[in-house]
Amino acid sequence: MRSYLALARGQYMAGIIYRFGFLFAILGNVVYMGVAYFLWKSIYRNSETLRGLTFDQAFLYIALGSAVFILLKTYTDWYMAYEIREGLITNQLVKPLDYQLYVLFGNLGAVLINMTGITLPTLILLFAVFRTPVTWGVGLLIFPFSLILAFLVSFCFDYFIGLMAFYTDSNWGLSMTKEIIITAFSGALIPLQFFPESLQKILLWLPFQAIYHTPLMMVTKPDLGLETFLRMLGVQALWVVVLFALTRLFYNQAIKVLRIGGG
Amino acid sequence: MSLIHIQNLSKHFKMLNRREGLGGAVRDLFSGDYRLVRAVDGISFDIDPGEIVGYIGPNGAGKSTTIKMMTGILQPTSGIIQVNGQPPYANRIRQAQVMGVVFGQRTQLWWDLPVIESFKILKEIYKVDQKTFDQHMGMFNDLVGLKTLYSQQVRTLSLGQRMLCDISASFLHNPQVVFLDEPTIGLDISVKAKIRSVVKELNQMRNTTIILTTHDLGDVEALCKRIIIIDKGKILFDGDIKKVTALFGALRTLKVQIENFSDTTLRDLHAKIDAHFGADHCVTIAEVEELWTDITIDQASTPLSDVLSFVMTQFPVFDVRIVEISMEQVVRKVYDGALA
Repeated sequence: MRSYLALARGQYMAGIIYRFGFLFAILGNVVYMGVAYFLWKSIYRNSETLRGLTFDQAFLYIALGSAVFILLKTYTDWYMAYEIREGLITNQLVKPLDYQLYVLFGNLGAVLINMTGITLPTLILLFAVFRTPVTWGVGLLIFPFSLILAFLVSFCFDYFIGLMAFYTDSNWGLSMTKEIIITAFSGALIPLQFFPESLQKILLWLPFQAIYHTPLMMVTKPDLGLETFLRMLGVQALWVVVLFALTRLFYNQAIKVLRIGGG
Repeated sequence: MSLIHIQNLSKHFKMLNRREGLGGAVRDLFSGDYRLVRAVDGISFDIDPGEIVGYIGPNGAGKSTTIKMMTGILQPTSGIIQVNGQPPYANRIRQAQVMGVVFGQRTQLWWDLPVIESFKILKEIYKVDQKTFDQHMGMFNDLVGLKTLYSQQVRTLSLGQRMLCDISASFLHNPQVVFLDEPTIGLDISVKAKIRSVVKELNQMRNTTIILTTHDLGDVEALCKRIIIIDKGKILFDGDIKKVTALFGALRTLKVQIENFSDTTLRDLHAKIDAHFGADHCVTIAEVEELWTDITIDQASTPLSDVLSFVMTQFPVFDVRIVEISMEQVVRKVYDGALA
């Protein structure tokens, strides 16, 4: 385990070297939140609550959602595809490392960079500028655990798309498609409550909601109660196990088609 | 017992036949037109602990593919491959612990981090204890003076410095076998010499088996007792390097540019050299490019300086180059039966 932690640490150190990028990422995020604030303000102009959410809850959902979105944006699938296409993956395969864990811990390093560099400063700004109220509740205590599981689910999707590069060589289209599907179906952009009933039912059976909907509900809807939260956490954990196992099996197939030319 | 045992090993790739042009690229989307590439085609050899073996051949011969099978990255299509008594691909993670690899064309160090951080990460990956780590770093500092580079970002290193660091890193966990895949590519003479001496010293100190692929016959001459020549996926020669150097070590190619070169010049040159040096002079002439005429000379029987001064007295020569025999020429000679 220490060897993998060393990888995460290395990734983190490499990431914070390029510190100017953070400023722009924070700036971009704050602009986005400003736009979202006024958009949702106008949506709520004529009503107190919509689909069971008050304005404060909806905006907290959106703002926190964008913070999580940045947190999980590690470009892992892009980087994997690059490593596979350029043959750099050989460097990892000659080391006594499990490839899935190698990518996972590199990803963890990248998430921690996002956390210190972008997410935390953005959240501080959020509460300082928009003064969004957060209701204390048991959900807030479970939120960190739910966020970790969300990270693992998100990683599995990135890893799966990254592995596709073994077959496709170029992954641009797949990565974009994944991005769009996750953003739309996970509740990253709009709370799932705003989707039509029937679609909501389907989406709750899919793994995408485990990335955004589940952790965000714990903060924005504290009245759902401990039992509901624990059940949601259980579903998340189940998805983590299933997706980890599936991507592992997929790796064993994909590695067989590896082709690397000279050098 | 041999450390590496390879028997009748093959690796075939299926490659899509790509068509030309934009229309071709679009049609390729739906194409099932594959051809089989036999990158490695039924090779066999054994390597003992402590050997330094030169594994050479022209581009696309199958060298890297063989190395990738020995390191467990690629699975063979057929045949037996064992490192330390086990197939490397079956238990890649455990086998990787006893191997070190340097791919000359890319670094295994962390590009954005200072040099020392890469070593610290590798220390954790290979579970090297602190005492061994300190010893190793101390030894490498003595050999190549690494300490001054510790705080530099890897991407700011020169190619030579980077290669020395890469080689040092590949020996960190004291592996039984180290694969050096073109470790001297693109380096100048002095750094090449340094790398050769470091590799030799490590091999002697630790009895590490070293498999070296290179395009530089100088590397092979300086380091290896045994040489394996491969081309088109098949082994052409496996044996004592002395046999090879005895054949080619003395060969040099003299390139001359002769003014007012015409069809008759070449014939003229032939006739004059034949007349001056006798029939059995070991000098062959060929016009390779438009202006350069290649004269290949076996220095063992005819000194190059004699040929050069003779040609210069007979012809208006305005440029001269001397090159050592290339890997491609060696392979061509082997095909022609020089080692049979």
